[in-house]
Amino acid sequence: MTDADIIERLKGELGEKVLEITNPSVRRIFIKIPSSQLIPAVTALRDRFGFKYLATISGLDKGETFELIYHFGGEGINLNLRTEIPRNDPHIESVTPVIPGAILYERELQDMFGIVVDHIPDHRPLLMPDDWPAGNYPLRKDWKFERPEEIIPGGKK
Amino acid sequence: MKFQIPIGPQHPALKEPISLRMTVEGEVIRDADLRLGYNHRGVEKLAEEKTWIQNIYLMERICGICSHSHATCFVQGAEKLLEIEPPKRGLYIRILVAELERVHSHLLWLGVAGHEAGFDSFFMYTWRDREVVMDLLEMISGNRVHYAINALGGVRRDLDEGQRNKILDSLDLLRKRTEYYLMIGANEPSFVARLAGVGYLSKESAIDLCAVGPTARASGIAQDVRKDDPYAVYDEIPFEVCTADTCDVLGRTVVRIKELIQSYNIIEFLMKNLPPGEISVRAPRRAKPNEVVSRYEAPRGENIHYIKSNGSDKPERLKVRAPTLANYAATVEMLKKGFIADIPLIFAAIDPCICCAERTVELVDGRTGEERVVRLSDLRKTANERRAPSPLKRIWTWPL
Repeated sequence: MTDADIIERLKGELGEKVLEITNPSVRRIFIKIPSSQLIPAVTALRDRFGFKYLATISGLDKGETFELIYHFGGEGINLNLRTEIPRNDPHIESVTPVIPGAILYERELQDMFGIVVDHIPDHRPLLMPDDWPAGNYPLRKDWKFERPEEIIPGGKK
Repeated sequence: MKFQIPIGPQHPALKEPISLRMTVEGEVIRDADLRLGYNHRGVEKLAEEKTWIQNIYLMERICGICSHSHATCFVQGAEKLLEIEPPKRGLYIRILVAELERVHSHLLWLGVAGHEAGFDSFFMYTWRDREVVMDLLEMISGNRVHYAINALGGVRRDLDEGQRNKILDSLDLLRKRTEYYLMIGANEPSFVARLAGVGYLSKESAIDLCAVGPTARASGIAQDVRKDDPYAVYDEIPFEVCTADTCDVLGRTVVRIKELIQSYNIIEFLMKNLPPGEISVRAPRRAKPNEVVSRYEAPRGENIHYIKSNGSDKPERLKVRAPTLANYAATVEMLKKGFIADIPLIFAAIDPCICCAERTVELVDGRTGEERVVRLSDLRKTANERRAPSPLKRIWTWPL
């Protein structure tokens, strides 16, 4: 199936859920959907288009919003599902009921961007240390690393 | 009655820091839990502050075994953003290094698998042959581990006629050795008995859990980025995707040995059809605002980079997904219902040691099933109390 066929079918089956479809290069398709349509869209992609393999989820801080990109693979085509959520209320529904392998990527999103993934089966931190201060999300653009002051045990005060 | 056994994060037998918590019932693993992040270095954040050229070297340092795969994945994406097309000869040399890297990584894995299965001569044989590949890589790039062969728009070093002949000569030796390993891996009764049926991962769960690379291919999924989404010059190279349908460690071993043979064929094709010409083109410093998804088949599976540029000489966002992360969910599935003795084999390259994992002794009352943590001093006291009424009395006290 060529890129053009897939795009035609996507337009037909997903209908108004799709805000934008682009095809910047061969075997690369970017779709944009509203975040409320995430689960129906992912289910349709899995069941009707054979995109069962979720490669990863990328987060991006765009200032006012967070952009999430779900990178799918299958049929030799890389399909990227893009959605945006507001930065001051970052909530997204978990896709683990549809694709169980997404769990690690969703936990990574929670750690790195402070995005709240609703109904995630396992919400513990994945990458950050246990004593990581709350509210510090390293991949947000306004987060800067500050080296903590070095305290030598038993040293001068 | 269930126990939890922690393995890691720092453990004498672990080569990399990872924390595994096994819930075991007797010898059988009922559940496994992972905790990552002990080696988290913030590469994605750092990459936003480095230029395109600096990032090649940063990406190369993500991994010490498949260093070329991350660098190539990044460079491929960055070249699309910078709108340059590397010359054919450059791409051939880039793919040559990639395939040599695959050979050395698979030989390394085979050795570790042999070691974990208690077949140490296999380990020594494969690691001796791996030296042949390491010498080739050193000859081509000047380094054994971080080859630094990639540049934006091509590669940094050219091949001459002598080097080409040396590579072709070495291939004969490697081919002969690998056929021998395939014979051992698939036929040697004790080795097969140890590997067969261990770490079962059905095709359905491999799909559900998004497994990649040889792990997925050993579960019967013919998934290979080189075939599905050919990058660089893979669309003109003849090769096959190797799969197995046994869904266990034996299948993963056989898939890797077959992939070695495919890699030798690819290297031979590259060396015989190496086009003349330039090896690189000049790259601009800035990239227009754009985005790209770059995929690469690393020795362990699909490597994917999402790169976004913002018009400056630095990336706006660089997302790296290494193949091992994709396979963790599947690894947990494989460990379930397995035996404690199979953990090292399933984790193969991580090889944890169970006997020294416990720092505190957990005593379980056999009748009530009550668990309590006991300190060494308490244990000693209990032992002394037990011994006190025994008929064998101490006949001397220290000092004599």
